[in-house]
Amino acid sequence: MAATALLAGACGGDDDAALVVYSGRGEELVGPLFERFQEQTGVQLDVRYGDSADLALLIGEEGDRTPADVFYSQSPGAVAFLAERDLLGSLSDETLGSVDAALRSPDGEWVGVTGRQRVLVYNADEVDATGLPASIDDLTDPEYRGRVAVAPGNGSFQDFVTAMRQTRGDEATEEWLAGMAANDSPNYAKNSAIVDAVARGEVLMGLVNHYYNYRALAEDGDLPSRNHLFEDGDLGAVILPSTASVVAGSERAEDAETLIRFLLSSDGQSYFAEETFEYPLAGGVEPRAELPPLSGQELPEYDLGRLSDLRRTVELIRESGLEQ
Amino acid sequence: MRHALVLMVAALFAAPFVYLLGRNLGEPGQFIASLADAGLAGSLGRTLLLGATVAAGATVIGTAAAWVVARTDVPARTALAVLLALPLVIPSFIGAFALIAAFATGGLLERLLAPLGVGSLPSVQGFWAAAAVLVLLTYPFVYLPVAARLRGLPADLEESSRTLGAGAAATFGRVVLPQLRASMIAGALLVFLYTISDFGAVQLLRYDTMTRSIYADRLFDTTSSFALGLVLATVALAAVAVERRVARRERRDTRREVRPLVVRLGRCRAAVATATWALVALALAAPVAVLGWWAARGLSEGRARTGSAIADPSSLAGPAANTALVSVAAAVVAVAVVLPVAYASARRRERLADAANGVIVGGFALPGLVIALALVFWALEAPGPAAALYQTLPLLVLAYVLNFGALSLGSAQVAVRGVPGSLDDAARTLGAGRLRRLVTVEAPLIAPGVAAGAGLVLLSAMKELPATLLLAPPGFTTLATRVWSASEDSFFADASIAALLLISLSAVLTWALVIRPARSMLGSDL
Repeated sequence: MAATALLAGACGGDDDAALVVYSGRGEELVGPLFERFQEQTGVQLDVRYGDSADLALLIGEEGDRTPADVFYSQSPGAVAFLAERDLLGSLSDETLGSVDAALRSPDGEWVGVTGRQRVLVYNADEVDATGLPASIDDLTDPEYRGRVAVAPGNGSFQDFVTAMRQTRGDEATEEWLAGMAANDSPNYAKNSAIVDAVARGEVLMGLVNHYYNYRALAEDGDLPSRNHLFEDGDLGAVILPSTASVVAGSERAEDAETLIRFLLSSDGQSYFAEETFEYPLAGGVEPRAELPPLSGQELPEYDLGRLSDLRRTVELIRESGLEQ
Repeated sequence: MRHALVLMVAALFAAPFVYLLGRNLGEPGQFIASLADAGLAGSLGRTLLLGATVAAGATVIGTAAAWVVARTDVPARTALAVLLALPLVIPSFIGAFALIAAFATGGLLERLLAPLGVGSLPSVQGFWAAAAVLVLLTYPFVYLPVAARLRGLPADLEESSRTLGAGAAATFGRVVLPQLRASMIAGALLVFLYTISDFGAVQLLRYDTMTRSIYADRLFDTTSSFALGLVLATVALAAVAVERRVARRERRDTRREVRPLVVRLGRCRAAVATATWALVALALAAPVAVLGWWAARGLSEGRARTGSAIADPSSLAGPAANTALVSVAAAVVAVAVVLPVAYASARRRERLADAANGVIVGGFALPGLVIALALVFWALEAPGPAAALYQTLPLLVLAYVLNFGALSLGSAQVAVRGVPGSLDDAARTLGAGRLRRLVTVEAPLIAPGVAAGAGLVLLSAMKELPATLLLAPPGFTTLATRVWSASEDSFFADASIAALLLISLSAVLTWALVIRPARSMLGSDL
């Protein structure tokens, strides 16, 4: 078998080489789906797993010599870094058209694969569920002083603030951030750390992506952490996409799109819904029963893929004093 | 010939520094602007404060632990000798997470203490939390080389001191400590450099150092990240230069067939044993208990995802083999590469050897991300055949060597310095050639020190993350990358199982490759 592989390696042209995927989403999360793709299509994948931001820096350093064909990112921020350097190709209209316009790049450089909703995670042992806030704007009230954890350095929080800026403008956003800062909102490094702290009772509530708590509960059903969804249309309930892109100059652009379309197929989307607790965005697949359905919700359009925009967001967060 | 060799090694280790310099020269205005930024002074100050605090704490704890296992009749010395080295293999991102889960509000300890009426424990964050966690994860950088040094020290001076009526404490302070000084300072330097380049612990415990800023800015303000990287590199090189000045040379000769002195602890035996086991409990047992708890919790909930470590434990066999392969390769290559520099720099003060020492040791303070990007750059820029190394294991091993070569250099220098010149002269007089003298006279004498250094490289390479993720061939996963990706996605049972396997594997490798050879080499009972 080794000899066959060697022979194939020696004789095969570029067509036989594997499609190279840089995946900012973990092997535990998407590995089985990539396996299924290889079985179904016969297209071999070489997957490099890593942090989305680090992989974007890697493609940036590799430039036009990058072996990557597909970049699958945890969030639009890393994509923005590559888009600014013209390192991403364009996706076909067919691929782009399979998801809502709000969850794909206006320039065709990325398409949303799954949705992560922003929620308020709270400790059900300590907090009365009936008195939970309806809107993100309630959180600047004195009654929430010191009670709502945030992760100001985290990409998802930053994306949420970018969405706020695009809806309300910088001034209103600065006001909200200042209100949260004045409320001494405790800081954490990332979503999972907030869910963990809420479950331990260190802090009562926190702003996170929805699926972390479902995964925590899947490992320990006794945890008192629960998700609370802000009311329909509230900025606090914004949907953030994980994204897929074709890398500029890929010689396998066609296979690359085939993979992306597979991720968006009902097969791929069902996998995400069932296994990762995320919102499916295409293929007519419904989210898991625990999740409130997305269909029927009007999705506002945000452009989270511009680096200059994200840079300004980071500045505003730092100037607000929210980061302690 | 020897000069050429040292020059080549120095050039190799200088590559990441040259890359950083080049990245900053591209935009000199931006670099100066970053330096002038009001935030830099504060960030630099916090970084130095944390580095110095952790170095001091780790030096005290590491030296004490080394003395206990190498010089006393504390029970279960061999077990302690291995266990005390292991916290080094716990990646700081998972170590910090586990220690938070163990000791913070609502954590494991609080639950255990609740029946005793103990209330809520405070949250674990900020400067002191980061310092404490980092001390627990880094004291082996001092412990391993100091223990190796102690094992190689002849006991006659200590025996004379005791015979003349000095107590154990006085003997330790007046006789032992001065002989350990160089090993301690070298270890402290490593702890300092590790701390200033750490991201995992300071991120989770929320203490804002330069490395944390490098990571926070890397996408949105890449130039500022590179500027901070250069400042960090400068701090590292300065620290190395300071260490070279303050570490007085040890001229005490190492001998073979050392009869080690065993200090009878007498009435203090129980207290010393308790303190040493308490250190093992805090630094190793607590994180391992949390990992075990997470693993058991996930197993009993039993929602076995496809491809999860719970559903298919054999899926970790490949990553385990990969981990052993690359870390052993890194340890062997690192030792081979730094030995010429150890020889050149140990006996004489040469400018070239000093420079080589600087870039090798300084490389330990470069964040893995910087080393990885530098090697991407050099491999892709390299002419012809070298470019074929890109995304292959040799390049990954090279990244480990550049990052961790420092860990093998310090103990190699101490070991080389310990070879008595008279022995070498005698062998030469008897007509032994250079190679024969090296193999029969010097190798047995320097082996324990070199093995200790190799052990440090091994343990560090086993848990390395950023360079492994970016430079390994696609599909090549290690236990550390599995721990990271599972924990990143909040699959804590999977992360814990992989982490426990990583710790077990490191225990086996430390025992087989570091402790056992050192023991048989010295013929000691440890």
